[in-house]
Amino acid sequence: MPAALDEIIEELRDTDRQERIELLIDMAKRLPPLPDRLAHFKDEAHRVPECQSPVFLVVEIDGDRVRLFADAPIEAPTVRGFVAILVEGLDGATVEEILTLPSDLVERTGMPEILGMLRVRGLHGVLGRMKMMVARAAAVDAASRDRAN
Amino acid sequence: MSGTYARPEALVSADWVQEHLNDPKVRIVETDEDAALYHMGHIPGAVEIGWHLQLQDQLRRDYIDVPRFEALCSAAGIANDTTVVFYGDNANWWACYALWAFQLFGHKDCRIMDGGYALWKAEGRPMTTEIPSPTPTPYKVQKADEAAIRAFRDEVLAHAKAGRPMIDVRSPDEYTGKKLHMEGYPQEGALRGGHIPGARSVPWKRAINADGTFKSADELQALYEGEIGMKPSDDVVAYCRIGERSSHTWFVLKYLLGYPKVRNYDGSWTEWGNLVRVPIALGEEPGKI
Repeated sequence: MPAALDEIIEELRDTDRQERIELLIDMAKRLPPLPDRLAHFKDEAHRVPECQSPVFLVVEIDGDRVRLFADAPIEAPTVRGFVAILVEGLDGATVEEILTLPSDLVERTGMPEILGMLRVRGLHGVLGRMKMMVARAAAVDAASRDRAN
Repeated sequence: MSGTYARPEALVSADWVQEHLNDPKVRIVETDEDAALYHMGHIPGAVEIGWHLQLQDQLRRDYIDVPRFEALCSAAGIANDTTVVFYGDNANWWACYALWAFQLFGHKDCRIMDGGYALWKAEGRPMTTEIPSPTPTPYKVQKADEAAIRAFRDEVLAHAKAGRPMIDVRSPDEYTGKKLHMEGYPQEGALRGGHIPGARSVPWKRAINADGTFKSADELQALYEGEIGMKPSDDVVAYCRIGERSSHTWFVLKYLLGYPKVRNYDGSWTEWGNLVRVPIALGEEPGKI
């Protein structure tokens, strides 16, 4: 797991429920807005369908690194906070690092203790969708490099 | 707006709440979908009651028991005669659910703040992140009449067989059976899609305006009585997926339209869609048994 993400998870794990919520809110407030050049990607194709709130993910491949951008409403701080964890912890990671993220990442961040087991579905959706988009973007990138060769 | 709500006292405005912020007989309770929202800022003096971790039993699929409910109220500074006003996100979904749960234990004076969290915030009313520590109150559950407002699966089956009115408040795709469970998340899913035979589809959201407030009595009547032909004398069961959205419709029918007999089937689709051998209807037609 990328060190940046590992660090965030460590920090979250070291807290009780109340502190974890505070941390999550801090993360949610820190999530940078989508850059203007990507603002038009707030569309259905970039929306996470598993989330009730409008959550948008944009993935770019830059050399061997993944650039990650996201938007989620501040009125849904839990999901926005989780998205912010992914952006802060994974922006600049390699494709390989993202595709091999453990499938229990949501549990490792301690979200079930905040949300209860019932409502972590949307977060799994965010993680699954992000992996899928990274895989797709990497494939498109590889194909375009093949063509260029 | 000619008609008025049947039990207008059950719905209070944001103005009313603001005027009663320091009223010792009133306790404001926030119940949200998003577990962190309360901590971002809430109505001054409001306590948080979580629908899942606080109102539900964590082992058995049920609500907390009487001693735990009493302890919860006591810690929240709610006495038997306290006016409890619920509000929350998602146009008061969970607020209605919490109100319904409080009614399971027979708490007398429960109300909803119209418009919920979003309207309070949009109007720029006071908010704080300060978490109140109420003085514990004595609380003793008096007379709980769960059977009057809660339906269990066998009762729902009998209800369906008798052809009595039922409302499915989920989205149209869930009703027709197009949407099953989410791939990969069996803990949230049902094995079959569709609806309980005879249930009419009225998505819960149709009862609210764009700002999250409830529609007028006339509009609600046109919806439930005009469109699907229900009558106040009907014995009605409402359900959704786990009983939260249907609490919202339950509140509308019971308090705003004044139907005396409305029950919420909290087992809802996560129970029915997993039960062996119960009948299910597919598609847009209500169907029948």
